[in-house]
This record gives sequence, structure tokens and C-alpha cells, in this order.
Amino acid sequence: MTTEIEIQRGKAYTVDRGSVAKAPGTGMLKGLGVVFKHFVKSYGAKNSKKSDIAGTFTVEYPEERTKLPETYRNMPILLYDDESGQELCTSCFQCERICPPQVIHITQEKDPATGKAVPAAAEFLIEYDACMSCGLCHEVCPFDAIKMDHEFELSSAEHLSLTLNKEALNRPVSYYAAIAPRLWEEARAGAYKKLQGSLKRRSGYIGIAPQMQDHVPPAPVPEKPAPRAAAEAASARQAVTAEAAGSTQAAPTAAAPSTVDEKKARLEAIRAAKAAQKAADQNDQAKER
Amino acid sequence: MLKTDELQINIGPQHPSTHGVFRMLCTVDGETIVDLKPVFGYLHRNHEQLAEVSTYLQMMPYTDRLDYFNSMAMNWGLALAVEKLAGIPVPERAEYIRVIMNELTRILNHASALGFLINDMGAWQTPLLFGLREREKILDLFELASGARMMCNYFRFGGVLRDLPPEFLPQLQELMAGLPGFFDEFETLLRDNEILMARAVDVGILPKELAVSYSVTGPLLRASGIPYDIRKAEPYGIYERLDFDIPVGSVGDVYDRFLVRIEEMRQSYRILQQCLEQIGDAQGGHIVKEMASTGKQKALRPPVGDVYARVETPKGELGFYLVSDGSPQPYRYKVRAPSFINLSPLGDMCRGHKVADVVVILGSIDIVMGEVDR
Repeated sequence: MTTEIEIQRGKAYTVDRGSVAKAPGTGMLKGLGVVFKHFVKSYGAKNSKKSDIAGTFTVEYPEERTKLPETYRNMPILLYDDESGQELCTSCFQCERICPPQVIHITQEKDPATGKAVPAAAEFLIEYDACMSCGLCHEVCPFDAIKMDHEFELSSAEHLSLTLNKEALNRPVSYYAAIAPRLWEEARAGAYKKLQGSLKRRSGYIGIAPQMQDHVPPAPVPEKPAPRAAAEAASARQAVTAEAAGSTQAAPTAAAPSTVDEKKARLEAIRAAKAAQKAADQNDQAKER
Repeated sequence: MLKTDELQINIGPQHPSTHGVFRMLCTVDGETIVDLKPVFGYLHRNHEQLAEVSTYLQMMPYTDRLDYFNSMAMNWGLALAVEKLAGIPVPERAEYIRVIMNELTRILNHASALGFLINDMGAWQTPLLFGLREREKILDLFELASGARMMCNYFRFGGVLRDLPPEFLPQLQELMAGLPGFFDEFETLLRDNEILMARAVDVGILPKELAVSYSVTGPLLRASGIPYDIRKAEPYGIYERLDFDIPVGSVGDVYDRFLVRIEEMRQSYRILQQCLEQIGDAQGGHIVKEMASTGKQKALRPPVGDVYARVETPKGELGFYLVSDGSPQPYRYKVRAPSFINLSPLGDMCRGHKVADVVVILGSIDIVMGEVDR
């Protein structure tokens, strides 16, 4: 019994329920035949083609790994230039605003002498534990400073180790160029051009990745006469650099890892400040009404 | 006949056969179901309220988490609604990419849903792994295009996030070379199996009239014998250009749902073939020019008004009702979730059957709790 209804560019048809009576057990044997065929084939060579529907498909994970596509995204990272150590981030707050679960917290760098905002991030926290890997932050970043990492083995016994600060988030540009050559090639020219623009307003160690501060000289002070405080800070830094130079490459990660408690306190402070700001806004709105 | 008392028992919420956190309040007489009430809400995540404080773009990754098996289809629902509301055109090539993604989603959903259905019947793992193998291959393609296997977040208002990488279409072609073999094999594996027939034939019948009055959609409705498919009834995207048929069932039992899903995979394969032939000539890029930057997407302020847009996801009609007050956030955002509505007639389907059949009937509806509770 098959009925057909004509519809535009196709028809509706009734599926065949198989009304013919069969000897009992034949249906099951047919199925077992398929399973047996697969069992035999599973001892053959490993499958490499997408069109294969029988054989061995498993990948022995920790030893063997499949290649990740370039576009793969897991967690956000920040980029800095390999040579000068200058971070691409200018703390424009685009990513903080768009982040759907609101896990990015940025503080802008200020010129120590004038107190004016400088296009660099003083602090950059991302709560990896609440991040949903949607990738909107790297899509929206106009400076190509935030990118999505391919690293996925992030498990940790310490919950707060999943709140990452700038030092932990920073990766050299060469790292990203290695994991996503085509995507970086598209973005490279624009990213460096914009970096040159923000360099004009940075001075000293402002905007230099924390792990690179011991290996690169501070940026030249811009044309305006350097404020004394900044110059002193810079010379103090240089003295430290000179000492550190003796012990050559002091492990950058071990240089100044903020403790878990510090991180937690800082995160709490940022959250409290945001909540206070929000409450104040609401108060204002209420007053307006 | 021995007089027995009726007894109320709970199946779930923490039960592996309920496909998530879902409770069925059963009244049983011995092994027979006298009454069954589905109880939802254990996975409520405030999806709709969240939209009222988020921009339209910020909701896109959250739609992935509605039906996490078919995130591409879910993306399309929101994208279509916002495009209708704001009057954003979609280039031809983007439409083809969308159809390819949506039909791949349908194949992977049906392959794994049938696997889980057979799992519920007691055929542990073997048939399920046949389905999951195909699903993995398709997920590899999704990862290639969007960057993620399940939470794709690939659709944007006016197109898709990025164009297909050059290796995508050849890989899709290679994958498709194996698909007909998979459909036939999957059918041979189980179609005539005596145990499956005993568990599925005439179990959980949903009559036509009842299905319509519950506003059930998707394969569940088509298995009850009503040829209703939004891709035909209210074509969106480029579906009106594509040839495909609608398989319908005649009885409306679990067995019909099984057969209809297999046939739907074959129809999806036909659609994919046509898309592969035509995508080369498609005009335009992957996204319309005026919406190409994420900044534009982010700052989208649709004009004041409301809109209802619907798409045919593998589970049924997914509708988005949006009300805009001209601000970047929707004033109201409502999801018509297919799994949720398809789950409502569960009590009627189960009445008179045994407790063991409840699990099979629930499996044949094919639900994802993320979508039911939102």
C-alpha cells in the first residue's frame, strides 16, 4: 500500500513496512551478517578515507592525535610581538563587552606621570572555567590581539588556576602563526600597522609582555619630555634587567607568578567594582524616573 | 483475576534512559502504564530571559546549547528570525553553505538518534556505534568550517561566519561517497530484526488527529502519516529550488518513526548532491557585505516590530518569536522548541503499554533536554 501525494519539486510517499512474511530468524541473521563483515574488516588496515564505512576508526588518543584544523577554537589567548615584546592588545574593551558569559576583565594602563590612559592593558583576566569558547572575542577584536588557542588539555585540580592573568594568557605571535598560518597571514599586515599606531603612545615597559620585560629594552620615551617618575621607574627596571642578565634567561614564568590568593582577591575586587558601578547606574536610572 | 492496586512511581529525573534530566510520573497497574505525566524543568537555564539583556549576536552561541546535537540548525533559526526582522538579504553562496550544514546535521542527528533508540531497546552499543561513526565524520567537517564540533556558532545575520575552507568540499564529496552504503547497511542491520519488530511494531501509536491537536512536528508527525515539512510548506533559504520527497508513515508507531528517519537521511543525501552541483555557480560571498564585520553584527538594531520565523530542524519545527523595541537587545525572545512540544503527547502514546515500552517510545520521539527546558 503506497500512496503518493504530489508536492512542488517532490512528493510524499509512504515508507514500506515490509509486509512479506519471512522465515523466523532471517532478519536477525541478516543483521548479524553485517556485524560479522565489520568484525573481519576491523583487522585490516586503518581507515584513512572519509568514504570508508568499515574497518578501524579509533585513534589511540594520548599517543596518537588527529590534526586539528586551523580554524579550531578552544580558549582565548593574547598575542605579543616576538622581538619587541609589545602586546597587540590596546585595552579597547570590545571583547569584554561582547563576551556572552562576561568572563573577560580588563584594566587599562595609565601613564604614571600624567595619569592619562595609554593604549595597553594593565591587567587582563579571563576566567577559563566559565568561558564557552564561542570565539566572539577574537572575531570582534580590531587589533588581532586576542586569538583562539588550540590547546585543549587544560584540566587542573586547582579551580582558581583557571582564572588566567596577562602573563599566563600571553603567547608570542610566532606561536599563533605556527598553529594557524593562513589565518595569521590574512591578519598580519593590519595587526602590525595598528600596533605601530599604539606604540606612539606607549613608553617604558608599558604594554610589554611581562615575560619579555627582562629580555627587551624599554620602549623609547615619546617626543614629549619624559616625566621624572616614569624615567626613574624605567631606570630602576634597567638596573633589575642588568642583574637578571647575569643569570641569563631567568625562566619568565617563574619570575613573578601571582599566587592563587592574590588572583582571587583581585578577581573579587574587580567584580565588586563592577557590581558597585552597576548599582550606581541603576540608582541613577531610578532617580531619572 | 487477582485484584491489584495502582501504584505511582517516578522514572527519572536521574535515569540513564530519560536522555537527560527528565521525570516521568507513572501510574502503573502491575507492569501496565495507566497514566504518565512528563515533568520537565530540571535543565532550565533562563535562555529566553538571558536574551533580553544580551544583544542579538550574543545569543547566537547560546542557541548552540539548545539542541546541542543540531547546533547548525538551531543557529539557522535565530539567524532567519533576525534577518526577517531587520530585512537583511543573504547571498546565494551563503544559502548553499547553510543548506549543506543543515542537511549534514539532519543525517548526523538521525543516525545517532536511531542508534540511541536501538540502545534503549537493549541492543547495547553496536548499532549506536554505526551511527556515531558517521556522526564523527560529519563533525570533523563542522570543525573544519566553524572551528568547533558541536557548539558551532557558525551562522551570522546575513550569511555565515567564514567561507568554506578549500579542503571542505572535496572532503564532503568523499564523505558522501560512503553515505549510501551506510544507509543500506544500517537498514539491513536492523530493519527486519525480529527483536526490533517485537519491540517497535504497534508500540506507541500516535494517531494523526492526536498528533495534529498536540501540534507535533518533525519526523514524529510524518511517521503518523501527515506529509508536513516546513521546507516544503513554507520554504526558507533555497529549499524551493531543491528536489526532495517527504517520507511518511502509515501506522504511526515506533517502527514507522524508525523507517521514516532512515528515509529522511536518504532525502538529505539527495539535497546534498544537488547543493554540491550548484554551489559552484552560486553568486555572492559567504556573507552579505553590509554585515560582514562583527562590529556591524554586534551593533545590530532591528526596527521596531515583531517576527516569527521557523525552520525545519531534524526534530521538528523550531520557531523564534522576536519582539524588537529598536534597541540592541530583543524586547521579547521566545523559542518554540520542537522537542518540548513533541514530548507532550508521551502520556497518550504510553497508556496501556508496559513500563519497558516507555523507554522505547521516549527514545523514538528523539528529544534533547537542552532544548526541552531551555
